Amino acid sequence: MSIAEAQAAELSLERPSGLWRDAFDRFRRNPAALVGVSLVLIFTIAAIFAPQIAPHPPNQQVGPLSTNPAGPGGGHVMGLDEQGRDLFSRLLYGARLSLLVGIVSVGIGLAIGLVFGALAGYVGGWVDTVVMRVMDLMLSIPSLLVAIGLVTLLGRGMVQIMFAVGVTTVPIFARLLRGSILGQREADYVLAARSVGVPGRRLLLGHILPNSIAPVIVQATLTMATAIIEVAGLSFLGLGPGDPSLPEWGKIMADNANRLESAAHLVLFPGFAIVLTTIGINLIGDGLREAIDPKLKS
Amino acid sequence: MLKFIVRRLIFTIPILFGLSILVFLFVRALPGGPAIALLGERATQESVEQIEEELGLDQPLPVQYMRYLTNVLSGDLGSSVSTRRPVVDELKQRFPATFELALMAMLFAVAAGIPLGYIAAKRYQGILDNVSLVGSLLGISFPVFFLALLLKYVFAVKLGWLPTVGRIDVTRSLEHPTGFYLLDAIIAGDGAAFVDVLQHLILPAIALGTIPLAIVARITRAAVLDVLGEDYVRTARAKGLDPGVVDRRHVLRNAMLPVVTVIGLQTGLLLTGAVLTETVFAYPGLGSWILNAIRFRDYAVIQGGILFFAGMFIFVNLLVDVSYAFLNPRIRYR
Repeated sequence: MSIAEAQAAELSLERPSGLWRDAFDRFRRNPAALVGVSLVLIFTIAAIFAPQIAPHPPNQQVGPLSTNPAGPGGGHVMGLDEQGRDLFSRLLYGARLSLLVGIVSVGIGLAIGLVFGALAGYVGGWVDTVVMRVMDLMLSIPSLLVAIGLVTLLGRGMVQIMFAVGVTTVPIFARLLRGSILGQREADYVLAARSVGVPGRRLLLGHILPNSIAPVIVQATLTMATAIIEVAGLSFLGLGPGDPSLPEWGKIMADNANRLESAAHLVLFPGFAIVLTTIGINLIGDGLREAIDPKLKS
Repeated sequence: MLKFIVRRLIFTIPILFGLSILVFLFVRALPGGPAIALLGERATQESVEQIEEELGLDQPLPVQYMRYLTNVLSGDLGSSVSTRRPVVDELKQRFPATFELALMAMLFAVAAGIPLGYIAAKRYQGILDNVSLVGSLLGISFPVFFLALLLKYVFAVKLGWLPTVGRIDVTRSLEHPTGFYLLDAIIAGDGAAFVDVLQHLILPAIALGTIPLAIVARITRAAVLDVLGEDYVRTARAKGLDPGVVDRRHVLRNAMLPVVTVIGLQTGLLLTGAVLTETVFAYPGLGSWILNAIRFRDYAVIQGGILFFAGMFIFVNLLVDVSYAFLNPRIRYR
């Protein structure tokens, strides 16, 4: 081994700190982001281990039928609902639905939005014009109305609801990725890659996309919170999952909205479950944003 | 500038046109139809067909659409199947309601959000900054309908300070020449009615304005922080300018550009996104109107309402772009 090689080997001992590693380090040192992670972790554990944690199955009647259901106490930490079911157990199972809704609907929006955004940003020309006009068209109708319309059209299954909410997020991702790609497309490193003959597809997938994706990841996280709230809102309007046994948080609230006087627990507990989940997700999103783009923190 | 506005307006034509086709197809793809919604599930085949013939729904789709389009272009949006009233008349009644609500919500958001964000930035990383950050986090994490329910329960039901539902006390008689109840009360010179309408607006406006409030506060904070670090601010201070003048003339004015953008975008959303708030407070605005129309398959209302929404949204966005040019003379539209 020559001296030069030895020195090179020594130098490479220290791992180069890339964008993601730096970002991770910054994220780890952000207390707010860690609070967010803990909150989301708690709800994730609740969702995964609902059958183990829940004292009762979500649809089992364990107390009397009552128009004036008992609040917390008597062996039921969060009280009972009007059908004598244990609210705590139902909320645990509800966490499954809400987290699933957040992940799947954003996944759908992301998948469709990224394809459109990449097409518009990378191909440009008339493709760009057509795609972006369609996105404008979608943005000109309020997203909740689009979701209401789609659910009315497709039916009130969980899959349809997640799809409807996912579709409303498509333009956000498409626009963001397009803008980001446009910013990268003319960068020197892309020009360099192109001039050494990197083919178009690899240029896009291997070079431009990884450098444009950071803001999209942040947005995806924040959108997850919006999606959870939106599905709860749909439920609240009576357009939630058609299956009455599903313990969806927004649906539990809607069913008991006029019982705030007699059985406030049936509105407050699911309400705060939604609030805590979205706070957790929003904190993670903000933390990611600051970690990826440290300029914001200055 | 004028050229820019005209070009933007021309661009909206294909958008509205595309939207009209989309919405037209959407309502006809909905399961059930106005005839079923009117007559109920067990209606006889003949009566359904008779109603559909009356409404022109037995014609081929392109024929129906062409008829619809010519009517729309001559200012006729058709009639509601359930109320039998022209959609345009209902719009004239519903739009002012939503407009008043959105305006109050936005006033609340701006009046509280800008000072909050500004103070937070001036006290960067101080207690007030952290309080406002936590507050705005809560603001964007609270589902609107949950906040609306809580407000309604605490301030209207429990404390009885404010009315629970509607726009105005049902026993009160007030002429409605404009449909904007606040304005109507002023025209009538009826102070008590004015207060009554205002009281009906407070809770829904707070519920609806909380998310924009949080967003406005956040953006103001970020923008002020940004400007505070600029060289010209340091220069202004270094030459001994009064701190108050520096803040007003140099910091706030330059920080307002992103804030105005957000206010504009949020206003567009408020005008159209009040479905949940209107539902909780039984407020007779555009959102609850269209929601009911979708439920009852009221084709004309869905089509007219959504086209109106889109037109309004596009118009507000145009206003935002135009206001840029006034605030920032460096921006020139061509």
